[in-house]
Amino acid sequence: MPADPASDSPSVTWAAARDGIRDAAGLPALMLMASLVGVGGLVRDVGFPMGAGVLSTVLIWAAPGQMVLFGTIASGAALPAVAVAVSLSSVRFLPMTMALLPLLRRPGTPIWVLLLISHFVAITAWVHSMRVMPDMPPERRIPYFFGFANTVLVAAALATGAGYYLIGQLPAALAAGLLLTSPLFFLLNMVAAAKQPVDWLALGFGIGLAPFAIAIVPSGLDLLVEGLVGGTLAYLIHRFIKVRRAKAGAP
Amino acid sequence: MIAWLEQVTGGLWPYLVVIFFGFLPSEIWRWLAVFFGRGIDENSEILVWVRAVASALLAGVVAKLILTPSGALVAIPLVWRAGSLVAGVAGFYLARRSILAGVIAGEALLITAAVYFSG
Repeated sequence: MPADPASDSPSVTWAAARDGIRDAAGLPALMLMASLVGVGGLVRDVGFPMGAGVLSTVLIWAAPGQMVLFGTIASGAALPAVAVAVSLSSVRFLPMTMALLPLLRRPGTPIWVLLLISHFVAITAWVHSMRVMPDMPPERRIPYFFGFANTVLVAAALATGAGYYLIGQLPAALAAGLLLTSPLFFLLNMVAAAKQPVDWLALGFGIGLAPFAIAIVPSGLDLLVEGLVGGTLAYLIHRFIKVRRAKAGAP
Repeated sequence: MIAWLEQVTGGLWPYLVVIFFGFLPSEIWRWLAVFFGRGIDENSEILVWVRAVASALLAGVVAKLILTPSGALVAIPLVWRAGSLVAGVAGFYLARRSILAGVIAGEALLITAAVYFSG
């Protein structure tokens, strides 16, 4: 039940959406553009039209998934195998979306709005939202999210198209710099968003287990296995600390 | 299969490939999350675990992009690729938690290394 009808007024909604657009239209949009420029170049390399690359940004909305799609097509894989590889690379959206929706959802939010929100879940908008949503009034969260997510999406779509024509012209050092932006920006966002020990543990296990997962687990499943193992280890240690503190605090 | 698609759809097949073999297999996880998540309380313990798994997965994506690079990054030795991430985190903290400063520090080191190694 909305406590204050005025808090749902169109002016509040638009102000929140504008704030989302403003917060996205700086570093987040630039960083995403840098990573999608590379996807645009890849689309051209595999001989797809520019529009298909832009469409893949808007619809798939996951640079790693797009790399897998165009990379496996280039390697001549059968289309069903391509679909499986893309799907495996996107499994992370299941836990990410499940973790984000409770922050945005309010009683009575229609299911189609939740499905629409879920489409915009990708690393940049997710990490940013997980950081800012808890301190934001609930009625501002959904419009803010749509403002933020649509801004980065449009910027990324434009960058995909630009990259299609530009990436071949860049000097190698700059191209390498563009390829570093995604991992660097994701990592810094995660460091900035980490608050509790469980966040740091998950981050540490995720990075620390990666060399082993890549070496042992078949490619495609490696990230999934290490996410499950690393995340579960982080959670168990978090539980262990919590239980011990509870025991020490209540003798 | 692609030759067959070309014949049946004319020039549209790349778009259909993106929709049916890229968009749908990827989007299914987001939709499933909406349905799985409906009954879960915001403060429930299972969400702490789900969040930890999501964070570990993302950290794994970062590590994989550095450990098994593509394109122009291949020419740069691992120490410098990983060192650029470390420089980025150092820049972030030195500049009082500025993500922009972190990005600039990491990119500066990597591009310097790239100029050295790939000319």
